[in-house]
Amino acid sequence: MTDAISPEATDEPKTATEPVLSVRDLHTHFRVEGGIAKAVEGVSFDLFPGEVLGIVGESGSGKSVASLSIMRLVPDPPGLIAKGEILLRGRDLLKIPYEKMRKVRGGEIGMIFQEPMTALNPVFTIGMQLTEAVRVHEKVSRAEARDRAIEAMRQVGIPDPAERLKDYPHQFSGGMRQRVMIAMALICNPSILIADEPTTALDVTIQAQILELMLAMKEKKAGSSIILITHDLAVVAETCDRVVVMYGGKIQEVGTVHQIFEEPKHPYTRGLLASLPTASTERKSRLSTIPGNVPSIMNPAPGCRFSNRCPEAIDRCSVEEPVLHQLPGERFSRCHLVEEEALGQVDKEKADV
Amino acid sequence: MTAYFLRRLLLVIPTFIGVTLIAFLITRLVPGGPLERELMQIQMGAAGAGGEAVGGAFGGGVEIPEEARKQLEKEFGLDKPFVVAYFLWLGRVCTLDFGTSYNYREPVWSLISERFPISLMFGLTGFLLGYLVCVPLGIAKALRHGHPFDFVSSFIVFVGYSIPAWAMGTLLLVVFASGQFLDWFPLGGIHSHSFDELPAIVRDNVDRDAVMDDFDELDWEKLPFIDKVIDVGNHMALPVFCYMMGSFATLTILMKNSLLENLGHDYVRTAFAKGLSPTRVIYLHTLRNSLIPLATGLGHALSLLMAGSYLIEWVFNIDGIGYLGYTSILGRDYTVVMGILAINTILTLVGNIISDVLYAMIDPRIRFQ
Repeated sequence: MTDAISPEATDEPKTATEPVLSVRDLHTHFRVEGGIAKAVEGVSFDLFPGEVLGIVGESGSGKSVASLSIMRLVPDPPGLIAKGEILLRGRDLLKIPYEKMRKVRGGEIGMIFQEPMTALNPVFTIGMQLTEAVRVHEKVSRAEARDRAIEAMRQVGIPDPAERLKDYPHQFSGGMRQRVMIAMALICNPSILIADEPTTALDVTIQAQILELMLAMKEKKAGSSIILITHDLAVVAETCDRVVVMYGGKIQEVGTVHQIFEEPKHPYTRGLLASLPTASTERKSRLSTIPGNVPSIMNPAPGCRFSNRCPEAIDRCSVEEPVLHQLPGERFSRCHLVEEEALGQVDKEKADV
Repeated sequence: MTAYFLRRLLLVIPTFIGVTLIAFLITRLVPGGPLERELMQIQMGAAGAGGEAVGGAFGGGVEIPEEARKQLEKEFGLDKPFVVAYFLWLGRVCTLDFGTSYNYREPVWSLISERFPISLMFGLTGFLLGYLVCVPLGIAKALRHGHPFDFVSSFIVFVGYSIPAWAMGTLLLVVFASGQFLDWFPLGGIHSHSFDELPAIVRDNVDRDAVMDDFDELDWEKLPFIDKVIDVGNHMALPVFCYMMGSFATLTILMKNSLLENLGHDYVRTAFAKGLSPTRVIYLHTLRNSLIPLATGLGHALSLLMAGSYLIEWVFNIDGIGYLGYTSILGRDYTVVMGILAINTILTLVGNIISDVLYAMIDPRIRFQ
């Protein structure tokens, strides 16, 4: 089984540049009662300078664990990065010493989280939490760090930043708190921002503002990139350049945002897209769903992870695990149908079983 | 917020009246009050004077003149209706006059206040040692959650929690003080009464003649300060251990669970994601949050002024508040009982308010309305 995506096998102009971050065959496991839960199993993807990469999937698909693995923030125990490489400009983050990794966190890769309510320490002022983020990476005086904090807050659009430095997290609204989180993640100018469901906990009106802010901040620093983890395809459509679709701890499909939305090559992606409400959806009609639940990562059944829920599954799907096939145009899909279609061995009717 | 605390402070008054009123009522309702005791004693005295052998408590049968009875009732304040008597008592309490003990024939206030130093000494040492030991132990346990260290310390702490303090006290005395096994500590009291009783290190330190009085008895006051401290410390070691043992488990486990819970919070992950060192994340970010539930207990340090467990004081032969309170209840010495209750009530109520103030001070999210 050749699961790894080879970044060299490409002829598109964008991917001609070296990826800034390459995840290779990442396996992250959790040792839980009754065995090992394989949350991430053989995930590989590249992040290129200047791009916004979306990682999409349902809850439990392993997308968050994959992003935490990049930062080595998976709690150990019970978590364990069992195998793989995370190459940041060619340097394997899984092999560098802990002290070096600390420099990467916040210094080269910034991260923001889903819950701005709880992601900030409730008993310290915003000013303290911002300045300590500067001072841990750079040798600056208190006054300089404070100026940097004010500047960072101004950049993310917090009014009256000098005054608000003295405030505590609970004195900010949800949207403002997420702005603080962005300011904190970017205060040391990292070239990569990992955003784990940054808008999930926010009002719809605030969501767009936060996404715009993230994109604007990315534009400010040339060559910086964003990994956006979300289950919200609408967010992906608005912000991402390329998309990685995850399911059951594995990558199911990779493509540009246009390819994914216009010509999805995996039944799971098609299911996700079908479940999106559109303007033409009748008011009274029920939204389309993918029947069934995310499979257990404790005892995965043989064959394709999605086969038990897949409307297009064929006999082979429940027996043999598909590989991640490369398709023309830097696309990948983990589906037997794609392979068989490509080989011309099967037609659509057979897939209807 | 100031308004809130002022309101809380004002609420102390009705609460205090409620608590003391109920207690006062109980002293009136419970049979065998001071009047009955006094009458009984007079009867027994009369019977004794009559040369008769008195079998039972009620064997006297001597009639008490009505005037004498009235006289006694007046003395105990029983001649007035309950409510009137209560408010008279309350009025006197406001001027710190708690009345006179029936049994000791001494002002209640001096009985109580002369025991403050003992309570404070034991209470404060136990309290400080408790926090000094439990907080680090709780942290260590949280960081080694599930490791052998955690299990073993939990076992020890809960064994200590399960053994009654007086039983432990007796055991400690037998093992460490009786001389049967070891002779490291004295058998009881607050300080030594004879030269030989002093710890060896003090005996070696001081000139024997200089600390003896004219009757060749130890004059404790003549000891140098440092030796007094050593001697008192030597006497306190075992009882303080007994005082701490009970609260030890609660405080340690509270600290451990609080830290463990906080370590799982999102802000910890954020702190790590910023690149902070584990030391800073644990000891600054997480510890600050996990100390909140513990710090609220600090307000009750006020009650340490009245700290004292009757059983521990009894085992270690210490004449403290606990012993005084217990014997007063048994002896129906209601002025003393009411005095201790009144002071304890005030200290507890004010302690609660101080706890709330502390809570608001350390947790910026708390805003009392």
